[in-house]
Amino acid sequence: MFYREAGQFKTTYRDDMAVFPILQDRIGLLVIISLAIFAIPLLGSKFFISSVMIPFLVFTLAAMGLNILTGYTGLISLGTGAFMGVGAFACYKLTTYFPNVNIIVWILASGLFSAAVGVMFGIPSLRVKGFYLAVATLAAQFFLQWCFVRIPWLFNYNVSGAIEVPERTLLGLAITGPRATPEVRYLVLLGIVALMTWVASNILHGRIGRKWMAVRDMDIAAELMGIKMLPTKLLSFAVSSYYCGVAGACMMFLWYGGGEANDVFDINASFNVLFMVIIGGLGSLIGSFFGAAFISSLPTTLKFGLPAMGIPITGATAEHMTFIVTGSLIIFFLIVEPHGLARLWQIAKEKLRLWPFPY
Amino acid sequence: MKADVGQMGAAGPAAGAVMLEVKDVSLSFGGVKAIRGVSFDIKRGEIRAIIGPNGAGKTSMLNVINGFYHPQAGTITYKGAQREKMRPYIAASQGIARTFQNVALFKGMSTLDNIMTGRTLKMHKGLGWQMLRYGPAMAEEVRHREVVEKIIDFLEIEAIRKTPVGKLPYGLQKRVELGRALAMEPELLLLDEPMAGMNLEEKQDMSRFIIDINRQMGTTMALIEHDMGVVMDLSDRVVVLDYGQKIADGTPAVVQADQKVIDAYLGVAH
Repeated sequence: MFYREAGQFKTTYRDDMAVFPILQDRIGLLVIISLAIFAIPLLGSKFFISSVMIPFLVFTLAAMGLNILTGYTGLISLGTGAFMGVGAFACYKLTTYFPNVNIIVWILASGLFSAAVGVMFGIPSLRVKGFYLAVATLAAQFFLQWCFVRIPWLFNYNVSGAIEVPERTLLGLAITGPRATPEVRYLVLLGIVALMTWVASNILHGRIGRKWMAVRDMDIAAELMGIKMLPTKLLSFAVSSYYCGVAGACMMFLWYGGGEANDVFDINASFNVLFMVIIGGLGSLIGSFFGAAFISSLPTTLKFGLPAMGIPITGATAEHMTFIVTGSLIIFFLIVEPHGLARLWQIAKEKLRLWPFPY
Repeated sequence: MKADVGQMGAAGPAAGAVMLEVKDVSLSFGGVKAIRGVSFDIKRGEIRAIIGPNGAGKTSMLNVINGFYHPQAGTITYKGAQREKMRPYIAASQGIARTFQNVALFKGMSTLDNIMTGRTLKMHKGLGWQMLRYGPAMAEEVRHREVVEKIIDFLEIEAIRKTPVGKLPYGLQKRVELGRALAMEPELLLLDEPMAGMNLEEKQDMSRFIIDINRQMGTTMALIEHDMGVVMDLSDRVVVLDYGQKIADGTPAVVQADQKVIDAYLGVAH
């Protein structure tokens, strides 16, 4: 009844090619953005922001990165965790050598290093596909993880072998380090995620996005349209790893505030992000948001939400319940909609266009 | 009908200079000899049919012209230059487009995006502008959208513009695939069984499109087809393959009367 596109005529191709051609979508997006900017920092508790919203945004970035590679270009990667690690270490080294440059610049620049590493490990993709490529990217995961532990230069020869996040400020406000408040870290992260989502959507709606999808759907026909396989696939690896790298840097500097990279950027992280992409919806940007919300925030919400609602369960029980509930929800959603939460969202929108009429 | 055929052949823009010459091409996969010493040529502006029973090597021939397969022997001369080792994207950049026997569309994309992908070679704005999707990148996108809309108009598929092609019926998928090939503005268009699995009306539509493309755009075509009525009506010249060898070559009327062709299709009493 309210979600109708009737009467919204497009008179130019430019209007017709807009990312959100429907007015109601644009209004909805504005509402969500203003909620995220104003309502959450003002109304959300420190705990909610730092344990639910920040992990959600970090994993959204990583899931978007992997979605570009796996969902849009059809190349499976299990090296996501390692690429995130490269971003984190690059950011650490950069801010160590150039402490006066703003940390946000270095967070965004650190992705370039993981992009370069991603391209290197993406070269086998010309020859191998599917599961075989997944195994090839496993090499990246193990090799890079080995580097994170064995090359002390990477963590500045710290005795702990961990990244120690220094305090960095923007206009006198601490955005990393122990004095940075969750609200500030959240807002910085939100800005990065919003910017990078916008850029990803632009790339995917244009010439390059079409090339990637062509390679995913039918590589033989794509080559016949004049699309060269190697540059197209490597570009996808580069952009994807860039997003993962920035996610890794954000994870260390804006979420964890330091830690031992070998534990954080291990194969579990790779699998986690892959599950987010599959459950959220392959080949859908909004799916990356759904997937990240589902996998990263649901356990926390269950663990702390249930006791908060007055359901008396102890910490250990809550932990086990979390696994059970999350697991069964994953199975439930995959049975109901194998194409992920993004497809459910699309179906809901289709239904809403007709509601309250059946046709 | 037969009288029509003759006129069509004469009136068509056929009989230009030789555009593509295949000479003594042989192709084998291990012990299987798919093509054995086949020679023929395609002249600019004509519709050249390649026919033959199943397994005769027709699709292999197209794949050789495309650059998917590399023949073990023989030469191919395209637009006056003998080709070295060929890659499909080089063939594409030289103006060779292709449709497939089993529809090879990009299933996850809309009709519009599929046809827009055909413009890939003509779009050049780099990653920087693509990231902004503004200014030159957007202008380029709009410019090519206009061309694509003309093709959509021509093929009468306006209504399915934004439908994911995976959801379309088979006949329309074939039409979208033709549109995608047309978007490349090819000089040589290779059609691999464009009417396979179609009903009569769909065949008539497709035939009309093929004639229009040939006449209006002057596109040279190589056509593989099993519907003999269609082949005889549409093509200017026909080459017949059987077991990888050429058994006949000439105008439809000549080929139809050829004893070897009749034997290949109907079998010979031993």
